Amino acid sequence: MKKRSLSMNQIMILSLTAIVVGILGCAIAFFLQTYQRSLIRNAQTDGRRTISQVTSTVDGYLSDMNNVMELLADELVTPSDDREHFFETFLKIRSDVVAVTIYDEAGYLMNCYSLGHEVRPVVRENLSFDRTMLDVYADGYVSAPHVMSLFEGYYPWVVTIIRPVDAGKWEKWVAVDISCTNISSYINGIGIGQRGYCFLEDTNGNIVYHPQQQLIYSDLKQENTALISNLDDGSHVIGTMIYTVQTLASGSWRVVGVSFVQEIITDNLREIARLLALAAIAIVAATLAVSFLFSRVLSRPIHDLISAMAQFEKNADNFVYEPVSGVREVQNLSSSFAHMVRKIQQLMATVRAEEVNLRKTELRALQAQINPHFLYNTLDSISWMCERGKNQEAVVMVNALAQLFRISISKGHELIPIRSEVQHAKSYLQIQSVRYKDQFSYRFEVDESCLDYLCNKITLQPIIENAIYHGINGLVDEGEIVIRIESQGDDILATVEDNGVGMEKEQIDAIFRRSDSKSGIGIKNVNDRLKIWFGEAYGITIESVPDEGTRVIVRMPKKQKE
Amino acid sequence: MKKRILPLVLALLLAASLTGCAGRTVSGEPYKMYMIVKSTTTEFWKSVFAGANAAKSEYNVDLTVLGPETEEDYEAQNEYIRQAIRDGADAIVFSAISYTKNAQAINDAASAGIKVVVIDSDVNSDGVVARIGTDNVQAGKMCAKAALETELESIVVGIVNCDVETQNGQEREQGFRAGLSGDARVQEIYTVNVPTDAELARQAARGLLLEHPDINVLAGFNEPLAVGTALAVDELELGDRVIEIAFDTNPICVELLQKGTVSALIVQNPYAMGYLGVEKAWQSLQGQRFDANTLINTTTTTITRDTMFTIESQKAIFSFG
Repeated sequence: MKKRSLSMNQIMILSLTAIVVGILGCAIAFFLQTYQRSLIRNAQTDGRRTISQVTSTVDGYLSDMNNVMELLADELVTPSDDREHFFETFLKIRSDVVAVTIYDEAGYLMNCYSLGHEVRPVVRENLSFDRTMLDVYADGYVSAPHVMSLFEGYYPWVVTIIRPVDAGKWEKWVAVDISCTNISSYINGIGIGQRGYCFLEDTNGNIVYHPQQQLIYSDLKQENTALISNLDDGSHVIGTMIYTVQTLASGSWRVVGVSFVQEIITDNLREIARLLALAAIAIVAATLAVSFLFSRVLSRPIHDLISAMAQFEKNADNFVYEPVSGVREVQNLSSSFAHMVRKIQQLMATVRAEEVNLRKTELRALQAQINPHFLYNTLDSISWMCERGKNQEAVVMVNALAQLFRISISKGHELIPIRSEVQHAKSYLQIQSVRYKDQFSYRFEVDESCLDYLCNKITLQPIIENAIYHGINGLVDEGEIVIRIESQGDDILATVEDNGVGMEKEQIDAIFRRSDSKSGIGIKNVNDRLKIWFGEAYGITIESVPDEGTRVIVRMPKKQKE
Repeated sequence: MKKRILPLVLALLLAASLTGCAGRTVSGEPYKMYMIVKSTTTEFWKSVFAGANAAKSEYNVDLTVLGPETEEDYEAQNEYIRQAIRDGADAIVFSAISYTKNAQAINDAASAGIKVVVIDSDVNSDGVVARIGTDNVQAGKMCAKAALETELESIVVGIVNCDVETQNGQEREQGFRAGLSGDARVQEIYTVNVPTDAELARQAARGLLLEHPDINVLAGFNEPLAVGTALAVDELELGDRVIEIAFDTNPICVELLQKGTVSALIVQNPYAMGYLGVEKAWQSLQGQRFDANTLINTTTTTITRDTMFTIESQKAIFSFG
């Protein structure tokens, strides 16, 4: 994890998410495309259906109009008794008809029937009748939309249906003007989609009726009639528009449906896209959750194992391994590791025990050595005393020497009562005070309660030896050595204090390095033994001030006799 | 790991909620609009209302149309504006009787947060968000062109114009005079100002024609004035001698155009004004901005006796349905 490489978690989550997002993206893109295509197809179908309905109603209207024309032709060929009355009734029934006009061969207006409107005296231009058209369309035609120009102050927009009649000499053509607004009922309110609409145009692209005709006439809206008039019947997607065109059965007009791709796509797709986005988010969230779960199940135990190993690395002695649960592979790993930990800890304990044993053996061997020089000097002193007849003193000296050796040996025990150790020190001092007559005095301050606890044998003697040789020996005045044994909490402190020349820091350090001494056992040896037997918390500390004296403190636990 | 995933999820959720917001369409209460104009009776204004109604249904607007009895009553207009402010209108589509005397009320409306769109006749206010109408100077020049395209050897002009306070009349006259000024045939221009009323205009025109018998070009600068002047020419039977130029498409003028009394009609597009007025007000409420100093120009057409039945003229003169 310290390296910047990806962790198992990340790889798992990233790859799962990438796969899901990829698949989702492709699926959504594919779906949207298909959906869009089907939307447009639906819109086209919808448009065609609507337009064909409109077409059939307008067709119905026009065939109705044809019947009307035939009726009028019949009336003209075989007039009823009261023609005026006939037309009046007819116009009352057919409110969509603005006027019926009748023309002679040359196109002169013969008659005009209209409800409540009189033909103006001078007609500047009759927009309802175009004689030249009849040369081309001998069977009549349907005009483009135009204004009715026959009446004074009344100008409705109409389309004119003209048919030939064969009624006597004069009346050759009959024309019916149909109000454009009347057609509105077939066109207005026809919706295709939300904003789509339809309109009616003639085959030349003139708009016959448009729901927003006045807007177009006022140049506020445009309808691309040039384009539309070139379209065949059917549905056409042009740019953002869908045009659905159907020509009427009579062939004169076309119904055009206009709807907006944009509207269909954006409105419907937006809604779908929103739902899809929500679904996608849910799926991605689920993926994330699942991959979290996976990684937790798979990698969490591995992490635990890793941190357990790291801990073991730092502190192998006190490590307590708690088995990690997880998938089988991890459990195998875990139990292997547990086994390994146990094995290593056992091995370490064994190694340490062997090491201690080795040291103890080594030290015991050292203790066994007694400095022959010391023995020689002492025996020399005794012989000298005997020569001088100081028998009593010689006895004391021999006793002290015997005591010294007896305690040194102590039946091979390493730990002896403090009482014995104090005795050992006293014996040593007795011998040395003879050797260094009048050079120093000594005294013991012993807490009686401490005497029954155990201590390493030959603990005090090397320290006292050090005090005599390095503290007192260089002194001009008589020195003093004080040995104190006292209790402090759970520990016992043994202090050897002299008022000798003292030591520098370097000298103190040297003492802890030196393994031997004149009498055979050095302070380092004492310190090592203390630590081996009682632990690192115990041992020797040396406080010394040059020219004032040295204090050596031995700390050891209150160890009871077993 | 967790810390990195959480913001991602939040971002996705945020994006989703945003697309959700974008999906909502603008709906709710329809905007409340007032259309305050100069009259409610003439063909011109009826056509404006027809256009406004078309836009009203297209944009789902709550529209109230108000106009005074006479085309001089700016005080009534001011009162309508105050009524609109009290009523909490969102927008006013306004045509000013007085360029100056309607200004304060419009300023008040603008500072009340109402979007003011001016159609047809301007008002002296900075609070207007859009101006729509005929380029009146240009329309005046079209009048002049119609007068000058005749074969008259010498031209004496009579003008019947509305009150000098009304901005569009002044601009038309200005354009008319500018159009005439280059031509050496123009001898004299007589102007008479009357309230916008057909009968008063007829009397004034009659007076003018009788007082200056040499007048051979006569112009009426809005619909009632055009009707009045045309009727005066008709009753004095001066149709053959006097070139009558009329504004707008009152049926009387259309009849007299056919008869020959009126020589040319200057046809504005009132339907477009009404429609665009409401449309621009709505767009402005939707946050769109317009340059109020640039007129949104509606088409103006000159129609003579010869061209009156072309399909374009039919579309310009005769409203559909």
